[in-house]
Amino acid sequence: MSLVAFNNWLSSTALSLLIQRTSGAIAGIQVIHILCLATLFALALSLSLRTAGRGLTAEPLASLAARFVPAMWICLAVLLLTGALLIIAEPHRTLGNPIFYTKMALLALALVLTVWLAAAARRQEKRTALRAAIATLYMLIWTGIIVAGRFIAYH
Amino acid sequence: MNAGFLEWLQGTPLAVAISEDWFPYVESFHVITMAIVAGTIFIVDTRLIGLTSRRLPFSYLSERLLPWTWGAFGCSAVTGTLLFSANATGYYGNTPFRVKMVLLVLAGLNMLYFQKVTFRGVSAWDLSRPPPAARLAGAISIALWCGVIGFGRWIGFTQTG
Repeated sequence: MSLVAFNNWLSSTALSLLIQRTSGAIAGIQVIHILCLATLFALALSLSLRTAGRGLTAEPLASLAARFVPAMWICLAVLLLTGALLIIAEPHRTLGNPIFYTKMALLALALVLTVWLAAAARRQEKRTALRAAIATLYMLIWTGIIVAGRFIAYH
Repeated sequence: MNAGFLEWLQGTPLAVAISEDWFPYVESFHVITMAIVAGTIFIVDTRLIGLTSRRLPFSYLSERLLPWTWGAFGCSAVTGTLLFSANATGYYGNTPFRVKMVLLVLAGLNMLYFQKVTFRGVSAWDLSRPPPAARLAGAISIALWCGVIGFGRWIGFTQTG
């Protein structure tokens, strides 16, 4: 089955039609998506700064990460759920768009680095230069994900 | 606001350049700084309500995070103005845009009242459950900023001009 055929099928499913035809549903799902990304971005920024030895320094990295990382995973879960609904509602706009795949590739990277940062915090990783480098890369990737996400609309 | 001013604004070379070429980039930057503003506010507000980071003094959290909030807000204001200028007459007459601006003012006033009044007595509740006035300020703040983002997104669905 070709991608176009798959997208046609997906956009004709009951769930897709329900979202498409419910007034304000796509907008509402997008707003939840944006609220979660804002929360995630700020948590990621706090974690990154702390990993690089800055920001909320009164607390050990391990302790801050133990609180922030689970919250980040919750945000990610909601982002994935709302994202899936948006894909189902508008398959051509997403699955048919190369920029969407750029976003997903960056997201995969971000998820790997989230695991790394959480582990680095738990084991009290001593290599400060490495921590700073990964933390910086991490924020650049999340920034790239946001930009790619916005550019989906301009394809 | 004077229609002549809005037309002049969207006719300036900068506004035209944004409207024709740079809009997606300015908009993306706006989203990034918005994420920092809203995200840091949510972290501080959930602490203010007493839900998160309860072992950290509230004043410590707010003192470390709010500079980021304000810095990012400044950038959001600049990028927002640039976006507005690209279609000043259109946005000015757009209802979700107007509601967003009203909510921003209310969020600012809520924050100001909290800073000037409620926060004064923070040493009494910095490490314990914040008083009702503080928790209310936090809840109102979260609600207003959700509204700012919601109506902000809605602009894109209603703006055709």
